[in-house]
Amino acid sequence: MNNKTPQEHIHQDKIDGNRVVSEKTLAEQVAILPNEMMPERDLWPGIERAINQKSQENYDIKKSNVFIPSAWAASIAMVMLMSWFTFSPAINEQSTSALVKNNEQVNPSSGQLVNFMQQSFKQQKQTLLASYGQPSLETLPAAMQIELTQLADARASIRKALLTDENNVDLLNLLDFTQQQELKLLQQLYRQYQVI
Amino acid sequence: MDSQATQDEQQKKVIDGQARFNGSKHHNSGDSDCELAWIAQAKNGSQSAFYQLYEKHHKPIYALCWRMLADKDSAEDVCQEVFVVLWQKINNFRGESKFSTWLHSVATNVVLGHLRKHKNWLQRVFSIEEQAANVAEPSVGLTDDSTLTILDQHIARLPERARLVFVLFAVEGYRHEEIAKMLKMAVGSSKSQYHRARNLLKESLTANDFVSITEEFNHE
Repeated sequence: MNNKTPQEHIHQDKIDGNRVVSEKTLAEQVAILPNEMMPERDLWPGIERAINQKSQENYDIKKSNVFIPSAWAASIAMVMLMSWFTFSPAINEQSTSALVKNNEQVNPSSGQLVNFMQQSFKQQKQTLLASYGQPSLETLPAAMQIELTQLADARASIRKALLTDENNVDLLNLLDFTQQQELKLLQQLYRQYQVI
Repeated sequence: MDSQATQDEQQKKVIDGQARFNGSKHHNSGDSDCELAWIAQAKNGSQSAFYQLYEKHHKPIYALCWRMLADKDSAEDVCQEVFVVLWQKINNFRGESKFSTWLHSVATNVVLGHLRKHKNWLQRVFSIEEQAANVAEPSVGLTDDSTLTILDQHIARLPERARLVFVLFAVEGYRHEEIAKMLKMAVGSSKSQYHRARNLLKESLTANDFVSITEEFNHE
């Protein structure tokens, strides 16, 4: 076992007449290099501050990522509501909500009610389009076509949700609202553009 | 050239023992259950578990930073940066290697990134030659640090590239191919820088006390 310090090794190399420290001595010194060194200052407070700051930044980014689609959805809803209120259409046909109320008195099951609402909506839409001479919706401006598509998609999603939650009154009301919106938008488009 | 390669391999064998001893590159034994629990908790955002990991590993990581940067203040700053990066990337640790091995590779990348940023700034001000000469000068106050081993004090005085290659090869246990990739240099350049570092160290260690070796570097 060699208990010499690195300095003693170097001195020994000199005594032995070596011009420079030998490979072996260098390798031995590398082998005894300490694995650890102690920093003078406490590094943890700085690290803790930085990771808290990063966590806050990540939270803010996530928050803004959630906010952007919400903002888009809100904007679309706002545009749709504005267009509805601006043109103030009037439909005299019996609304689905009236049908809902009528059916509440009969007290059918919710599944039946949804089917009834859907059939009623189809009839009203068909009647409306027939009164305009079965127009082609493809002649509408692209933006309007998109709005109609979005309403139809929303209606489909609400119906799908009602399949798993038949007694949800809010969803039933939402389905009714969406159907009425679609009918009113069609009527308003006919009046405005005279293209359908 | 063949004898040099053989010498290189012999040197590597001796040094590999140290790399293993240091728990770095080639250490394959598993992490303790306690450490694995801290890692799992830190992945879930536990700062107290992360502090335990810091407590266990900050001294070896600081040693790596210090040896690569040869400057106490920079080493402390970069060591902090390493743990901030670790906090962000700890989910990338899949347990395929020992945690300390993975952490050392993260630390090495952070140090090299720091050096590149620093170098880009320096290159606008100085020519490459001037920069090399400046880096080769001993850091102020370094020789007064009695807590450092003789070899560490001499490693700190090596020119930057030679120092990086020496630390990565001899202390951290990386292969020349890996070092070449990390430092964006040819494998041959990594080997020649290692030989240069070794020769400079042997010469400087031979000199009495801490004789300035800048003159010797300038003669190269």
